[in-house]
This record gives sequence, C-alpha cells and structure tokens, in this order.
Amino acid sequence: MTEGRERPQVYSKHMVGRQTQEHLARFDRMLKEMMGSAEGKPGSIEGVRVIEVGEANFPSIICAAMLGELGAEVVKVEPPGGDPARKVTPHGVYTGGVGLPFLMEARNKYHVILDLEQEADREKFRILAGQADLVIDGLRPGRMDELGIGYRQLRELHGGLIYLAISPYGHFTDKAQQEQNIPDTDLTAQSASGYPSITGDPEAPEPFNFPLRAGIWAASYMSAALGVAGTLTALIYKQRTGKGQMVDVATNDAISAWQGFSLVWGFTNEMPRVRVGNFDWCLFPYGYYEAKDGYVTVAAVSDADFRGLLKILGRWDLEDDWRYLFDRLTTDVDILRELEKEIKGEIAKHTRDELLQKTLQYSAKAARDRLRGRGFPLVVKTLSPAEVLKERHWEVRGSFAEAEDPEGRKVRIPGPVPKMSESLPRVKWVRCRLGEDNDQVFEKYGLMEKNQKD
Amino acid sequence: MGADYFSFTHHLFDSAKTSEKPEALEGIRVLDLARVIYGPMVSKWLALFGATVIKVEEPDLGDDWRTGSYWAKYWKDSCPYFQSLNPNKYFVGIDLKKKRGKELLMELARQSDVVVENYRAGLAEAWGIGYTSIKEVNPGIIYISCCGYGQWGPLRFFPSWDLIAQSMSGVARLTGFPGQQTFKLNDYYGDFFPGLLGAIGVLAALNFRERTGEGQFIDMAQAEALMRTMHNWIYMSVTGEDLKRTGNFDPTMAPSGIFRTSDGRFISVAVATDGQFSALAEAMGRPELAREVRFSGVEQRLKPEHAEEINAMLGDWIATRTEDEIMDLARKKGFPAAPVKDDWELVNDKWRRERGSLVDFDDEMYGRGTWVGPAVALEKTPGRLKTLTRPIGYHNRYVLKKYLRLSEEEIQKLERDRVIGYWVNRVGLRPPAYWEADRDPVFNYQGEAEE
Repeated sequence: MTEGRERPQVYSKHMVGRQTQEHLARFDRMLKEMMGSAEGKPGSIEGVRVIEVGEANFPSIICAAMLGELGAEVVKVEPPGGDPARKVTPHGVYTGGVGLPFLMEARNKYHVILDLEQEADREKFRILAGQADLVIDGLRPGRMDELGIGYRQLRELHGGLIYLAISPYGHFTDKAQQEQNIPDTDLTAQSASGYPSITGDPEAPEPFNFPLRAGIWAASYMSAALGVAGTLTALIYKQRTGKGQMVDVATNDAISAWQGFSLVWGFTNEMPRVRVGNFDWCLFPYGYYEAKDGYVTVAAVSDADFRGLLKILGRWDLEDDWRYLFDRLTTDVDILRELEKEIKGEIAKHTRDELLQKTLQYSAKAARDRLRGRGFPLVVKTLSPAEVLKERHWEVRGSFAEAEDPEGRKVRIPGPVPKMSESLPRVKWVRCRLGEDNDQVFEKYGLMEKNQKD
Repeated sequence: MGADYFSFTHHLFDSAKTSEKPEALEGIRVLDLARVIYGPMVSKWLALFGATVIKVEEPDLGDDWRTGSYWAKYWKDSCPYFQSLNPNKYFVGIDLKKKRGKELLMELARQSDVVVENYRAGLAEAWGIGYTSIKEVNPGIIYISCCGYGQWGPLRFFPSWDLIAQSMSGVARLTGFPGQQTFKLNDYYGDFFPGLLGAIGVLAALNFRERTGEGQFIDMAQAEALMRTMHNWIYMSVTGEDLKRTGNFDPTMAPSGIFRTSDGRFISVAVATDGQFSALAEAMGRPELAREVRFSGVEQRLKPEHAEEINAMLGDWIATRTEDEIMDLARKKGFPAAPVKDDWELVNDKWRRERGSLVDFDDEMYGRGTWVGPAVALEKTPGRLKTLTRPIGYHNRYVLKKYLRLSEEEIQKLERDRVIGYWVNRVGLRPPAYWEADRDPVFNYQGEAEE
C-alpha cells in the first residue's frame, strides 16, 4: 500500500522512532480494512424505522437520506403526483424526469404513494407510523395535525415514537404560527439566518454589491444534519428509557444557531457587520487571490505564518513597515486593503503550480525548525469541482458512490460522511421511481389487506 | 384537530421547564483534545445535551481560538467566539509532551466514552494517544479523528483549515456572480458543517454501542463533508459540464434571488413548486403568468432564458413594494420569502429567544450575556447552556481529584513539575479582572468531602 508508505511530511520530527512507526503501522492496517467494502458490517442504527413525509422540503429529504446511510430503514411517503421536490433541479436538467438533487438523496429509501387526503390512506399511514421509530414531518406546520396524523395523535399509538419536524420557523412559538404558510427553501433559510448579509463585495457596482447567497445549499444541508443529530440524540434517550419525543428544527435558524458567530457579534458589538469582500473578520490573509492561471487560496493566519508568506512571495521588505507591524486584525479596513494590494500584485506574477511548490518547499523547511517559529503559510490551488475529481485521494478513500440514473447512465454522487470502523455508513441503492416500493413496503408493514379492501 | 396545535406544541417546548427535564446524554464522558472550531463543535453538541466534556489544553496558550477574535475584540479578557464554541466543558491544562502528562491523559481516556481530536493525520497515533493506543486500555472507546482529508489517502498529510477545505472540495468556486470574483463561505462553514457531521458520527456510534457494546474509530474528513453538499458531481455525470456560480440566483429554483424593496431592504424569494409559483403570480397581481407556456411548469421556468425573464419581472415587482408588503403577501398566499437579516436583528430576535437558540444567560464567572443555545429543540431532553468557558486549567483540581482521585499533594507536585498548568497573563487567556482566585470553590476544589 503506497499511501501508508509515502514519506512523512511536515511533522517529520514526530514520525521517527521505532515505537512511533509501530503505532502508525498498526493504525494503517486498521484504516486499510476500514476503507474496504462495507459488506457484512452492520449499520449504526440498523432496525430503526423512519417514515418521511414532506412537500418540496429538501432538509427533510436529506435528513432521511443521511439516516438511511447510517442503516435506518427509510420509507418516503409521497402523494399520488409525487413530491414536487422531484422537479427541483439545476438549470432544468432532469434524468428520466427526475431532478438531480432528489435523485442524489434517494439513497437507501423506499418510495411509496399514499394519498393522505383520503382517510383510508391515513389509516395506512397510522399503521406505518405505529411500527416506526421516527416520523419526519416536512409539511406545513400543523398540517399533519389537521389530518389527524400529527405528533399529538401518533404518540398515542406508541410512546416510543420520535417525531422530527423540519420547517422554516419551527412548530412552536407565535412566530411559527404566524408564518406557517411560508414554505422552506435554501435561499430564504440562508437569508433569515443572516448569512447573505455578511457575504459579498460592498464596493462592487449594483447588483453585485447586494448581500450574496452561499453557492451551495448551505442552509438545507445544515438543517438536515441538525435533524439527524437531534434524532440520534433522541434515539439514545429512547434506548435508555423507551421514550420517544418531538424534535423541532427551524431551517431559518439553522445556520445562525449552529455557527452562532452572528449572534456573538451582535451581542458584543451592538451593530451588524458590514460586508468586507475577500477579507475575514479574524484572519488575514485568508481568502482567494488570482494567480497567473487561476485562483489560489491564501491562509496565513498567525504572525509567524504571515512572515512566512512574505518569504514565499519574496516580499520581506514589507516586514518592517510599521502599518503592518500592528496587529493585522485592525478594524481599519483601509490598511488591510493596502496590504492586500501588495499581496495581490505579487501573487498575480506566479502560476498556481509555482506558488504551491514554493509553499511546500517552505513548509518542509519550516517543519525542521526546532522552535516552529517559521509558521505555516499556505498558498494552495482553489480547485474547481472538475479539478477536485482529478485528485486520486477521493478514489482511494471511496469518497464517491456510483449509481445508475433512470436513463441508465453511470452517475457520481457523494458518499456518506464520516467513515466509521465498525458500523459503516453506506449507499446501498439509489432509485426513486414513484411508488415503486408500494407492494414491498405494504406487505412488510401489513398494509396489503387494507389495500385490497379499498 | 389542528386549531390549537400551536398551544399543544407551546406546552411541549416550554423553555421555563427546561431545567426540570432530563438530559439525553447524561453519564457520557467525553475527552476533548480538539482545538479551534471543527473538533470543539463535535463535543459542543455532546456537552449541550448532557455529556461531561473534559477539554484538555496545553498549559499557557491552550486552544488557538482563545486568542483569535473578530476584529481582535475581547469580552472581559476572553474571546467571545471561543465562549460560544466551548460551553458546558471542563478545562484542564496538561502538558502532553511530558511522560506523566500523557499518563494522566491515558487515565482520563480509560474512563471516557468518547475521545475527540483534530490534530493532523496520524499525529495522535504517533504520540501514542491515538485510537489504537487508547483502545488497548478501553476497548469500548469511540474515537473520532477530525482532519482535513481523512487519515487515509495520498492527501492525508496535506494541511487544512476551513478555507483550504473549501478550496480542496471545490466549494470555493461556487459563491459569487458569474464573471465576478469568487467568495468564501463566511464564518467558517468549512469547520461548522464538518463539525456537525462529526457529532453525527459520534452519536451514531453511541447508538451502536448502546446496542452492541462495541466502540469504534471514526475518520472525519472536512473536505468530504463539504463535498457531500454539492450537486456538481451528479450534474457533471449527467451533462458533462461543471455547474458554475450563479450569484443570487439558485439554479434549482426559478424565480429566485435576493432583491431590493422600495424601502431599501433586501429580501429573498425562491420558488420551488408550481403551487408556489401560482401563489407568487397572484401576489404580483398577475395570476395569468402561471398559465403562460414558458412559466407554466417547473421544467419551463428553470430553462435559463425563461428563468432570467421571470427573475427580472420579480425584481421589478419587488422594487415597487416594501418588505412588509411582500412578507404579508407571502403569508397570505404561501410562497417562500424571507428578509435578509443582519447580526443585530438576529440578536434582538424574540423568536430565537423563544426557541432557545438565543439565550440570555447569567454565568458564575462572566455574568450576564447573550449567547447561542442549542440549534435543535428536543421536547423531553432539551439541550441547555450551563456554563460559559473557563481559563486553561481552571478545572485541574476538580477533574484530577474527582475523576483521577489525586491528592492535593500529588497535584502540587504535578504543578511543580509543570505537568499540569494554567493560563498566561494575556488577553483572551486570563480570567476577568474582577475574578478572585482564592474565593473560587471550583478552582480550589477540595474533593468530594466538601463537595
């Protein structure tokens, strides 16, 4: 295995000695096994049964997918026309009529159709929920209760039921009631969490100076993961006491409540932050710069790192400029702009490869420094997703899963995170034809008879 | 049914009752060797929901984030951001480079259920405090290593921060307008989101252990967590092209964007479904739009030329309305809309206080402040804020006496030998100026007898 044997880098002084090598060899053997097939290994929450209901609610869809990766049996219940989430897709690109985000999160799920507007199907839903550990409610808050299949009614079926609600403003508080008609999207959830207000370049011409959306579903994935963490916490309590409970995620609060720095800033400064473009509020330089042939990322966060960066860039002359000798985290953005101009100019003279090589050479030298006073400045390539795929690393780790799309094409989707040694998260299948698992699920949960009676 | 739903839920989540309710993770012991944001957030979740988290730091300087603060501003000599990352934890200063220090650590690890570390790949193993070493003394241990690219694979030694992980995962190129500069995901999303997935790994492992008694090793890779959120991979497989940045337009929803209202506020609107589009069209006073062929279904609206057209119409409409008018219509008609909030609005938000995600809290050492609470509400086992952070080594006596049963004499010897230690007198590290060391019963913990 070449990966395990490659020459230790940057912290070589810790990697010598017989005992150390033994530790590492033992560790590598374990890792190698861990990265192998998940076949035959159990899932973390095997046996846990999940019912997912929702309307165009991606946090719920992703949350259920993540629980499925961990070994839960997930049944997604859709109305006869299908969840409108099926149509949500970048630039209108579909495969076999299904949107790409929906397909990507259709991992390890059973898809069944129930018309919850009809009492007969609501009865089937009750039978499903009666055998479930978790119901995920991604409908309008209160809707399930109106239908007679909300937490208030289902908890009477069995006390061990966990009921996870995911909605923009949650299922409790006056605000939640007032805003219950407003559906969730990633963009609106980012905005209500204050995230775009701190991103973007205030100096750019309109509309490029507007608050800026994060270019991934930052709020939806955060909300989904919070739902998973909340559920797993409730499951531990259930294992110990047999008791279920209601768990509530507000997507409009997900980023602000988990990252929290907006709230801390608000409390300590009593005013909002303004957008500062490529700057950071804590670290400098810490951003993206244009080299000759594309973007590089510069992170030189300590004073030692910064001085190292000056060496890498050949700009040691800046070192004794009094303006930069002060703590570089000045609130005076103008000083930062001046310094940034120098750095920008220097970086623009080199290619991305040159800068990366200089960084690696410098850090190899700095690692040998006894006092570690030379810092650890980083100038690395800012990879595009297409470039990321060229890194062999992800292949070695099995970071992606391959699936077949409805048109028979091999497609790449991101695999589960993190990797675990005993109970391995995994993608077992990816498919989502509407109602394709009705028979199988109905039979398993004892709904067949009911079905025939209708 | 339905009518009194919100009084039912109000009762379930009544925050006045939080302190009377049990904690889901009570009795679970966590040894936290992590620093900065990514690793500490794994144990923050556990600490908020009742686990006992012992954070071990190097004496003198400790966790780097203690001295890293936004615009270098501190609060009562502490970093307020560090406060928000490490509530409810116990703070111990141990020099792991000393043999005796490592022994103390191993003894704490032997008694723990979970170990969290975020050193560079392999470093904890090389030091003999890695999973394979701890597993020998504690076979049921759950050990999570958090690093940039995982412990395995050719990039494992490559350094990482939030921003570098954003760059290595491809996320870095996705925020910003086409043809304009690219921006990072701010406030260290590249640490916070991976930290949350790390917590999920630990919680999954705890569930597994409750069932089987087995512990395990968890390999958490920061960049992989970010890659998990991206549609680019499948989009590339299907179209052969990369999905590029599109500014404030979310390419999965048309119309969508952030727009300015007539009263100079910013508001975002995004339409995911046909039902939502009809609602918006009605709100705009143009219900016929939903019947026009080019806007009549999601497939049509998402076509780039149609999306551009409907987005422009939406922008023009919003420019003639106030924020309140649009939010009223969103409530009545039912389409997704939200004002773009700022930090100051967030921290003054009554709704967040009622949810418990924003907490007015009175701390024994730091007094009154407004802090971040749990991000998820649990009815029967709500998370809660119990203490803010403490300086390095503040709980040395408490932890070493209570858990390792060391005597006062043994502790004083450890102090003399500089095996355990405290903070240095610097901003970010020292206690608040009014704190009196002699009078603090926790800092001077005497042992069980006087507890």
